[in-house]
Amino acid sequence: MEVGQMQRRLVDYTKTLFMEGFLDAQFLQLQQLQDENNPDFVVEVVSLFFDDSEKLLNNLSMALDQPNVDFKKVDAHVHQLKGSSSSIGAQRVKNACIAFRNFCEEQNIDATLRCLQQVKHEYYLVKNKLETLLRLEQQIVAAGGSIPMIDMGF
Amino acid sequence: MAEKSFETTSQVCCSTGSESLPILASPMESPLRKVLSRISGFVPSWGKKTAPPGRRIFHRDVEQDEFQNGTAHCLSSYYSVFVARLAIMVMLAILIGLLTVLTWHFTRVYTTKSLNTLAYGLRYELLQRPILRMWNILNSTSEITTAQVKLSEYVIRRYSKPTNQAEQIEQLYQMMKDITWALFASRKALNAITINYRNGFVQAFHRDHRSNNTFYIYSDLANYSISDTGSYDNKSQSSRQGWNDQFIHGNVSAIWYRQPLDPLTGEKIGKSSQIPPEDLINIAGPSQVPDGVASWHVAVSKYTDSPLLSAALPVWDASNKSIVAVVGVTTALYSVGQLMKELVEVHSGYIYLTSQEGYLLATSTNTPLLNNTAKGPKLMMAANSEDRVIRMGAQWLQKTYGNKFPPGHVVHVEKANLGGQHYYIDSFFLNLKRLPIVGVIIIPRKYIMGKVEERALKTLVILISASVCILAIGCVCILILTNGVSKEMKLRAELISHLDARRRAEASSNYKSQFLANMSHELRTPMAAVIGLLDILICDDCLTNEQYAMVTQIRKCSTALLRLLNNILDLSKVESGKLVLEEAEFDLGRELEGLVDMFSVQCINHNVETVLDLSDDIPKVVRGDSARVVQVFANLISNSIKFTTSGHIILRGWCENPNVSSDSGKFSPDQKKPMSALKTKLKHGNHMKKVSKKDNKMILWFEVDDTGCGIDPSKWESVFESFEQADPSTTRTHGGTGLGLCIVRTLVNKMGGEIKVVKKNGQGTLMRLFLLLSTPADGLEQQRQIDFAKHSVAVILALHGSMGRLIMSKWLSKNGVPTLEASEWNELTQILRELFHARTTNSGFDTHYSLAKPLRSKVQTLQDMKKLVYIIVVDLGLLDLSTEIWKEQLNFLDKFSGQVKFAWMLNHDTSNAIKMELRKKGHILMVNKPLYKAKMLHILEAVIKESYVEPQNRSPNGTKGTSKQGDSHECLEIDSTQFETCSSDDSDISEMTGANSVSSVGIREQLKEGTILKSGPPTLRNCLVEFTRLGLEVNNLRTEEDQCNGRPKFHDTKDVKCENPNSSEQPLVRSNVKDRDNSYTTNKAASEQKSLEGLRLLLAEDTPVLQRVATIMLEKMGAVVVAVGDGAQAVEALNCELDGDENRTNRLQTEICDSPPYDLILMDCQMPMMDGYEATKAIRKSEERTGWHVPIVALTAHAMSSDKEKCLKVGMDAYLTKPIDYKLMVSTILSLTKRSTKG
Repeated sequence: MEVGQMQRRLVDYTKTLFMEGFLDAQFLQLQQLQDENNPDFVVEVVSLFFDDSEKLLNNLSMALDQPNVDFKKVDAHVHQLKGSSSSIGAQRVKNACIAFRNFCEEQNIDATLRCLQQVKHEYYLVKNKLETLLRLEQQIVAAGGSIPMIDMGF
Repeated sequence: MAEKSFETTSQVCCSTGSESLPILASPMESPLRKVLSRISGFVPSWGKKTAPPGRRIFHRDVEQDEFQNGTAHCLSSYYSVFVARLAIMVMLAILIGLLTVLTWHFTRVYTTKSLNTLAYGLRYELLQRPILRMWNILNSTSEITTAQVKLSEYVIRRYSKPTNQAEQIEQLYQMMKDITWALFASRKALNAITINYRNGFVQAFHRDHRSNNTFYIYSDLANYSISDTGSYDNKSQSSRQGWNDQFIHGNVSAIWYRQPLDPLTGEKIGKSSQIPPEDLINIAGPSQVPDGVASWHVAVSKYTDSPLLSAALPVWDASNKSIVAVVGVTTALYSVGQLMKELVEVHSGYIYLTSQEGYLLATSTNTPLLNNTAKGPKLMMAANSEDRVIRMGAQWLQKTYGNKFPPGHVVHVEKANLGGQHYYIDSFFLNLKRLPIVGVIIIPRKYIMGKVEERALKTLVILISASVCILAIGCVCILILTNGVSKEMKLRAELISHLDARRRAEASSNYKSQFLANMSHELRTPMAAVIGLLDILICDDCLTNEQYAMVTQIRKCSTALLRLLNNILDLSKVESGKLVLEEAEFDLGRELEGLVDMFSVQCINHNVETVLDLSDDIPKVVRGDSARVVQVFANLISNSIKFTTSGHIILRGWCENPNVSSDSGKFSPDQKKPMSALKTKLKHGNHMKKVSKKDNKMILWFEVDDTGCGIDPSKWESVFESFEQADPSTTRTHGGTGLGLCIVRTLVNKMGGEIKVVKKNGQGTLMRLFLLLSTPADGLEQQRQIDFAKHSVAVILALHGSMGRLIMSKWLSKNGVPTLEASEWNELTQILRELFHARTTNSGFDTHYSLAKPLRSKVQTLQDMKKLVYIIVVDLGLLDLSTEIWKEQLNFLDKFSGQVKFAWMLNHDTSNAIKMELRKKGHILMVNKPLYKAKMLHILEAVIKESYVEPQNRSPNGTKGTSKQGDSHECLEIDSTQFETCSSDDSDISEMTGANSVSSVGIREQLKEGTILKSGPPTLRNCLVEFTRLGLEVNNLRTEEDQCNGRPKFHDTKDVKCENPNSSEQPLVRSNVKDRDNSYTTNKAASEQKSLEGLRLLLAEDTPVLQRVATIMLEKMGAVVVAVGDGAQAVEALNCELDGDENRTNRLQTEICDSPPYDLILMDCQMPMMDGYEATKAIRKSEERTGWHVPIVALTAHAMSSDKEKCLKVGMDAYLTKPIDYKLMVSTILSLTKRSTKG
């Protein structure tokens, strides 16, 4: 593929991500933080996020599998997940986490299980999207192009 | 018994029913329950009925419908109340009626019954007696008869020997006569004894009771012989009739004699005489004993008027085969009648005896018992009795029973109506053989039952009337009671509905507040994003000018919107009681100065003068919520500015001290009256004073005085309501939501103060408020004042604003500094010339202005004083800047520079060229408008210091002062930067949520709005940055800042600072300025990137992603970041650094000797192992021994204000929410590190 085309695609793709609410301004900030000193900053943070989230999701599934659920623990996990997702700008995961925490406060097992499913769903969605995005970026870099600045006019 | 229990239960029901109608009484009769349940069923219906009003507020469109429903409910409820009342009354009536009837019935029935029993007994007894008497009479009669018969038999048997018949017979008769007499005499009651022999001879004794004579009656003996006896006997069977006939005829044919006898002795007392047969007494003959057995019958005689009872018994001969004689005994029944009379007399009743056939035998009355017919007296039937009652009784009995008397003739009739009166009739039957007797007693009912019946009637009447009364009273009571109950129930229902409505209203208000809080919170986030993105957009180079303008406009609008949201949030916070005031020390004066600085920028465009006039007794440092205090004044001042087009806005402040009478002379003339008024007002707020004394609290009074359009007195109160504006039309011209003053008032009230609009002389509005703020425990340190008098300085105030000048000159003269005032250029030149006319011969300006007299005299007094140091405070506005004349003016002033010191008041938009020019001329003292106490103090101190050091380095100062002292000027200039930045566009007042953030906002703002403020503001930061970059000592920097801020430290460091300016930095600063002129954005980016240069930060964050992001962010800005995973690690890191630091401190005891290892800690609140709160507490505890204070900034995802309080409570200094806002973080860090280095 031609570099320019890929660049356009990347821009379009990023736009859709913002439009669909997968990402928010935080991600832009993240991207801005990336410079020559930290060339792989975004990738690094995003993969950190993936690791962290997967660990947390596992913990959550385990915690909710217990016969008597320790909602404090669950809440703490969700809080962490919320923190990390909000700091990379994974907006929908964050929103799901907020709902999750509300149900945690109510100690509603059914709802929390539902929420867990939703959070997982959102997480995998955003993971896919981000992976695609990062792959595209890598391809562009590999093809020798520069990553275009993302238009912020969403 | 049963009735009684029923009665009690029903009473219980009644009472429970009436007392506690709303409550369902448990055990009750089913109808009662039904009624009560109906009643209780109405209660909710009332509730429903009255409930609508609450809802009506909310649903006005359904009001009509509800109203109709309401009336329907009303009607039905009235109806049901009516029915309930009726039911209760009917029940009461039934109850009382029942009670009455039962009472009456039982009392009556029992008495009647017992009386009847008694009466029956009485009657029985009464009747029994005469019958017994009758029986006695019969008995005695029969006894006598039997005795006579026995005696006769004996005598006859003795004399029945056939020998000497005649004599014997003679003797026999004689004997018989004697015996019979003996018997007769022994029985006085006997009427007669007769002996009728078979031969027809009759012997008889007769007693006439009326004439009391006794007679012996006998028949002629000649015709009869005893021998006939046999024939008689023989014929007896065959010719009974003949015997009878013979007897009668014989009697008739026989001659009867009657011989009166002495009733006692039986002696003959008279001659026997023949009597006619009709005078003959009844003599029993053989016909009366046909069967040879005794017989009874009732006879009558003409000698007595009562019937006679006669018994006849045959006398048998010895062989017992034939009857030889018949003995008859007659007894009068008179005594029976007598007895009956006696018996009955007391009872006023009647008794009579009849034979079975109904002939009267005896009565208790005196009426004759015999009928005198032609044939002599005859027995009378009872029904024909002359006594009315007896006749009627007999007739009644006959009518009722006829001949069919009940067996035994026993009749008991209790109520026989005889001639209109009621009688008891009782009859008994005395079944004597051959003579059955019936006794009848008639007693008037009245006699026995009369009283009882009368009483019963009376009782009934009384009972009925009583029960009617009770019923009436009961009904009234029920009416009242139910009325009361229903009223009470209505009231209660109303109350309940009111409570309900109130609760709902409160809830809805609460919901509203909560909703507002939530919404504005939620809205703020996207708004922040919008503003952030706009900032980024503004930074973009490739915007055209129009685009740039538009984006700037959008940003302005966004900030305005954000401010509105913040206002709403504030308001709802206050309303929902979530607002908690901080308690921190802050420099009130400085905050207010900053505020005035800020607003003066805004005012310049309006041609309005902003003046700060704080009295000297206001404590420098107070405890309170500085952000809120500033917000109060910011709102008030911005409000004033909004409505003031020309004139001035004065913020006055003084301290209310109960002990020291305030020097009101200092204030404007219209001050005194309101002051006294307020004092009186405070008197009845006495408790407040007490509090203030005890707690070291002070009442600080403030006034915001403007010359705007003013507020109509009728609106003085309502302007403080939310969304209320004095004149709605102003919204169009001035904008605003009307929230500002509301927030002000709630905040002031929260701080224990009050605010109100007071009357003002002249145009404009005067808002007066007082705040209750505590001063620090170490007491009111008196502000250090330099005694200016001894320094012999004089000040010439050449200022435009008359108000500010006036206040300043007053203050100066109060402090012993002589002042001169000039309001325009010409005046100034005049004064200068007057003062220094000898030396200023060649002025290039016209001198035809003559000074006013008082001024001149003042000038002269000043001239008299020797060795005065003159300070001329010149407003740059006095120079004519529009043309090039100002340079000449400057030259003119320059001539005096040897004798006077110039301090220049710059405008905010003063161009750099002018500043440079001034600097070139050696005018080193420059301050920004407006002039207030602190600035004046600065100028004075600077001049005094300079005048001291001048002698030593006059020469270098003269030559290279421009370059050297430029820095110090800038520093002097700088002190107001924090607030200047909010330029003529809408300043972001409400973003100043704390002293720190105020300054941070300032910095942030200046980053964004640097294009407008080309000069001044950024210099501080630039200087700062440059200095740091150049490795200038922190110490130095600090002193510099202290100097800038006019701290008392000034003295200690000033000389060092002034004398040792690092000359090498000058070009850099300059180049910086140039850079900025060329391209602000690049400069900004560069400066921003390095804005945290040299800072050592500790980041405690458990989420790896966030940790990484934050680290990179901070590192990009040049900070050194140490990241740790949790609170415990953070504490540990700090501690080991501390220990290390101590060692280091020992080694290098230089300038950094007591600065903590980290400049700042960023602390996540929620972490495993040890959370942020715990970690902070631990750190603060460990800090106690070193006395440092490392600023800790909380990082939290909890975006609630309560979390903020929690953070601040544990000792954190600021608070950032996740996701981290890049700029906010930078500004927060900067403000905190700056403060910490300062303090």
